[in-house]
Amino acid sequence: MNELSSTIRELLVKASEHYGAQDAVRYKAKREKNGGKKETVVEAKTYKELREDSERFSAALKNMGEQGSHIAIVGDSSYPWIVSYYGTVNSGSVAVPLDANLPAEDLCELIDRADVTVLMYDKAREAMAKMAGERCPKLKYRIAMEQVQAGETMLEGAISFEAFLKEQESGFSYSPKPEELATIMFTSGTTGKSKGVMLTHRNLAENATAQDMGFEPGMVLLSVLPIHHAYCLSMDILKGTSIGSVICINDSLLRVLKNIKLFEPNIILMVPLMIETFAKKLEETDWLPAPIIKAKVFGKQLHTICSGGAYLNPDYLKRFEKYGIAILQGYGMTECSPVISSNLPKDKKDGSIGKCMPNCEVKVVDEELWVRGTSVMQGYYKMPEETAETLVDGWLKTGDLGYVDEDGFLFLTGRKKNLIITPNGENVSPEELENKIGSARLVQEVLVREKDGVIEAEIFPDLEYASKKKIKDVGAEIQKIIDDYNEKAPLYKRVLSLKLRDTEFEKNTTKKIKRF
Amino acid sequence: MFDQLAQIITNYVEVKKEDIKPESRFMEDLGFSSFDFMSMLGEVEDTFDVEIEEEKAAGIRTVQEAADYLEQLSN
Repeated sequence: MNELSSTIRELLVKASEHYGAQDAVRYKAKREKNGGKKETVVEAKTYKELREDSERFSAALKNMGEQGSHIAIVGDSSYPWIVSYYGTVNSGSVAVPLDANLPAEDLCELIDRADVTVLMYDKAREAMAKMAGERCPKLKYRIAMEQVQAGETMLEGAISFEAFLKEQESGFSYSPKPEELATIMFTSGTTGKSKGVMLTHRNLAENATAQDMGFEPGMVLLSVLPIHHAYCLSMDILKGTSIGSVICINDSLLRVLKNIKLFEPNIILMVPLMIETFAKKLEETDWLPAPIIKAKVFGKQLHTICSGGAYLNPDYLKRFEKYGIAILQGYGMTECSPVISSNLPKDKKDGSIGKCMPNCEVKVVDEELWVRGTSVMQGYYKMPEETAETLVDGWLKTGDLGYVDEDGFLFLTGRKKNLIITPNGENVSPEELENKIGSARLVQEVLVREKDGVIEAEIFPDLEYASKKKIKDVGAEIQKIIDDYNEKAPLYKRVLSLKLRDTEFEKNTTKKIKRF
Repeated sequence: MFDQLAQIITNYVEVKKEDIKPESRFMEDLGFSSFDFMSMLGEVEDTFDVEIEEEKAAGIRTVQEAADYLEQLSN
């Protein structure tokens, strides 16, 4: 069932009324067996429980005087993460989901810049939470999203999730207005400084509910993408909730294959990088009949993969069709909550990124796609100049070049903005990497770009400095600088190809390196 | 350990087993994508009956480092 909702509260309330006793979220948990050994079991929470737990979360925020504040959520996908998100936005507060894989220093900078007063964190991010307590003066509370196990200690000054929700009643009732700010999501900026995209309840709720994709309630969905991403949060969590899906949590990227067998999903949202790996797995035993291979890799029940975040070679559509799996290619960006267009099971075209969402319209200006509608963001948090560059009379300049065909299908042809889109859908700002690598004394000039699907750095070393310091093997030293950078960087920001040059880069009139 | 690991690696990237060296870097030299690498470690967990921590996995760069980490987990 698909019904338009204009606030996230409305979306969750309707879901709990329609699907109350049905499982909303399934996840793996470790339980002690007789004899002390631990075993992994699948636990579930119903739609009724999800609503009640999130209402208790809202009540707790209000009781500590933080209703309306900015609440950062940092951690891997989990039931407490989802409760924290719904509990925050439905209390009229603003959720700030952050990339849990960023270095602690970067997370602290974002927490501070987003004026966060409450930090929700998971066990793996405890050191970051400690650092945030010291470095973020506006931060008042740190709440651990996991239960503290016997024998474990908790970060000093932090509160446990259990203690936070204890004695809170469900039934907290507040009705956020569609225009209220619900979420700030950070996205890479072309200047190297990430930008906080401001999204209202209407932006997110209508993006999740405007399109009827024809999926039935009770459909099992495996959520494998990072939950702080707009694509995962909007499509897996918000849309999944609104159509009564059973949302299964993948506990680690290491175990996607195992978890597919465990949860037996009907649908998975993926980025092209994952589809490429699965294609190899399917073709590993291509001498077996297709239904047997499909059952071995994906189970019998998987019928749809939604692909987004980056360009997918249309060849994969046919390669998966052979196994009875439809790949629906879509397109979006965080600034548009995020879906702009999507192919549908009964309305699709090869090579296209689908038709525009019903709540939005698209026009082409100098080959660039511009979008207007209820999904379009309010602007970048505390960045009026960047906002004015991106929003023109309500139209969002996507930075993508493309066209609309006579049937209304969108096609992409290239990019206008200088941003690297990696095959796993991450946006990487070359300037951010250039600033970091360029801070090394031996690097005189550096240019970062995408080459053959990986990030490449081309470096002009400071030969005068090398000679002064008697560095014999300049190449090895530069590689060491890259290795040091890679060690601290998240996987998707790592430089995997290095090119040295012996002359300066060509510059334009403003003395900037010519990129193309 | 190294030998079994090299065998698993050949299921993910087009490289001959004899070309896999201890110092080979998964992403730079063997052509692994980050998701290929994670999926391979998932298979390694089953083969060696160990539990790999994702944070530790992100720090592994060479085949030797992976073999050392697995050795440490198995003991």
